[in-house]
Amino acid sequence: MAFEQIVFYAFSAVLVFSAGVVITVRNPVHAALFLVLCFFSTAGLWLLLRAEFLAIALVLVYVGAVMVLFLFVVMMLDINIAVVRQGFARYLAVGGVVAILLIAVMAMVVGGDYFGLERTPVPEPIGEVSNTRLLGLQLYTDYVYPFEIASVILLVAIIAAIALTLRRRPDSRYQEPGRQVEVRRGDRVRLVSMKSEERR
Amino acid sequence: MLENYLPILIFIVVGVIVGGAMMAFGFILGPHRPDTAKLSPYECGFEAFEDSRMKFDVRFYLVAILFIIFDLEIAFLFPWAIVLKDIGLFGFSAMMLFLGILVIGFIYEWKKGALQWE
Amino acid sequence: MNFETPDFLPVVPELFVLGMACLILVVDLFLSDRSRVVTYLMSQATLVGALVVTLGLSSPIAQVTMNGTFVLDPMATLLKSVVYIASFVAFLYAKDYLRARSLFKGEFFLLGLFAVLGMMVLISAHSMLTVYLGLELMSLSLYAMVALQRNSATASEAAMKYFILGAMASAMLLYGMSMLYGATGTLDLGELGARVQGAGPSSLVLVFGLVFLIVGIAFKLGAVPFHMWVPDVYHGAPTAVTLFVSSAPKLAAFAMLMRLLVDGLPGLHGHWQDMLILLAVLSVALGNVLAIAQANIKRLLAYSGISHVGFLLMGVLAGTPEGYAAGMYYAIAYVIMTLGGFGMVILMSRAGFEADRLEDYKGLNERSPWFALMMLILMFSMAGVPPFLGFWAKLAVLEAVVSIDLIWVAVVAVVFSVIGAFYYLRVVKYMYFDKPEDEHSLVAGSDLRFLLSANGLAVLGLGIFPGSLLALCASAIG
Repeated sequence: MAFEQIVFYAFSAVLVFSAGVVITVRNPVHAALFLVLCFFSTAGLWLLLRAEFLAIALVLVYVGAVMVLFLFVVMMLDINIAVVRQGFARYLAVGGVVAILLIAVMAMVVGGDYFGLERTPVPEPIGEVSNTRLLGLQLYTDYVYPFEIASVILLVAIIAAIALTLRRRPDSRYQEPGRQVEVRRGDRVRLVSMKSEERR
Repeated sequence: MLENYLPILIFIVVGVIVGGAMMAFGFILGPHRPDTAKLSPYECGFEAFEDSRMKFDVRFYLVAILFIIFDLEIAFLFPWAIVLKDIGLFGFSAMMLFLGILVIGFIYEWKKGALQWE
Repeated sequence: MNFETPDFLPVVPELFVLGMACLILVVDLFLSDRSRVVTYLMSQATLVGALVVTLGLSSPIAQVTMNGTFVLDPMATLLKSVVYIASFVAFLYAKDYLRARSLFKGEFFLLGLFAVLGMMVLISAHSMLTVYLGLELMSLSLYAMVALQRNSATASEAAMKYFILGAMASAMLLYGMSMLYGATGTLDLGELGARVQGAGPSSLVLVFGLVFLIVGIAFKLGAVPFHMWVPDVYHGAPTAVTLFVSSAPKLAAFAMLMRLLVDGLPGLHGHWQDMLILLAVLSVALGNVLAIAQANIKRLLAYSGISHVGFLLMGVLAGTPEGYAAGMYYAIAYVIMTLGGFGMVILMSRAGFEADRLEDYKGLNERSPWFALMMLILMFSMAGVPPFLGFWAKLAVLEAVVSIDLIWVAVVAVVFSVIGAFYYLRVVKYMYFDKPEDEHSLVAGSDLRFLLSANGLAVLGLGIFPGSLLALCASAIG
């Protein structure tokens, strides 16, 4: 168990450090990359909790896809950091109060009193059963209704993304491979039979 | 169960050490003689024309978001594939409905030309 | 594997709307811009069909199915029916407006239908999971609808504000739900109610969870102090979208309030009553006072909407069946009135002219006496002048508050609605006593004119015969 604890503290330290860097670093691209590190160490923590599927999904979906989007957005926005930081001092007071309140709430609630080991003991091990398997057994039967709603939300995301960003550009030139392949000789070459000229 | 992941942990540790050591050695052992010419940004022998942070076309974003959506769909397929034998026809049709809804989204984006790079 | 196939019958309306929305999505792809009206007609047919199916399935007893994530009870039937009708009316009002601004695309109706589906899921939610998913489905569609006018800077700004604040509210809601789940170990709202009863009302983690839930709900309702987005979104979005955003989603937000607080946390009634009193009093006060300063009718209606939300909360906070019925009555009355109000803005507008300044209503009586009369009815009703619908709604809510001896809340509400009457009457004064600045005749189609007249007359008719709708709400609460 001691080894597991060392790994836990190592991942936690990396997680806290990188999360801190994400919000303090000046360059937004660096912030996004540190967020990747954050997700990685979270995945490590989940693995320690035997939540294998969540760990893999976090790497697959967040590190693999969401962060790509983040980086694109960061690059696309062309953020002027000086402008972003302008209001910092003005909002510091209000933001600080909200932050302190939230931290106080967390400190009062997320502690041993409510979520400690006495309240939620370690569940009895039920032998070598894969966690992904158990998830699957519930997700597609008991939770089929929320599961289908999730797909509808994804569908709305597709529609919204396309409706909001896709625009046709009539002036841009592009290749159409399908039409290129379909080309026949007759479309390109015209055989003309001409009389040969008389030799003089 | 966690023993199975030990190789990955060792891999991460070795990776971090090797990567970190290389940069550290280079930093410590390499000669440092910076001057303005060496430190100035450089673009194929010219002065840099503009800031490297230029605006990307919004279509990159569209491709990325469509990728995320189908990536998420894949994530749902893993647990399903494992338990397919146990959840029977009901679980099978649940996933088919899920995929069907997303296929409609796919038809939509295809027909709208979102997959076409002009 | 012990799993029973759930009863699908109560979920048929949701499946119907989903199936039709997917069908319309595919059909719309193959339509040319000229035949886009087919999309519109199919969307309207979907709403009518859903209404028929929902009413056909109505039963006086609550049916829980889908492993406890879904409930069909009389409240769900009534609220869903009003959502369909409100969306039908909103789509019809929107049609000509969208066409005049080349916004008449399939996406508007599709996103609208998906938002309706989200509202249905939310109204029928019996688990925190479905509450959240329904809310997200609805909100995502609404954000996209607000942003649909892509070349308008104000619409984009409105969508951005709506999206960011909405995402934050969702996060708050989730945070609260996670606390409740952590403390009770269940997502099912019925089960949650029982376990909270067992834990007693003093558990700190439950109270904090409740606080975050209420923040999320108050944001979606647009109650002070979580109202910042309302005026900007109502003002910035195209009027057709504002009309939709301001009507049916309020019913869904009301349902969310009922499901989470009344079904899920009745044991904490003492706590949430205090919080709702604060929200209600602030909303009524601030909404009415700030509305006076508005020169834009969309912003004016937004602030008036905030004050109406305050009244709606007063019904719920009473914690009695009569109070819930009054809150529901108020929500439905508000939706009918706001549809009429924004419908008038659409009626007055034409291509290139939004008719959103108060001055645009000057001398409406000379231009169209009939619609000036309709606007008069709507304004009087919103102000709470008898015998219109709004008066009875306010009366029912105040009765509920007085019945639990919170007389000071009722007094505050009355005082501020008297103050609020000023800005409604100013619109009336503009219409009847000022010279028109704009001599164009109204260009709306006959279907809009007809439905808007029916809308105005409904406010009058339901005011003269107030009993039936209130009885309907009372029987739905049961």
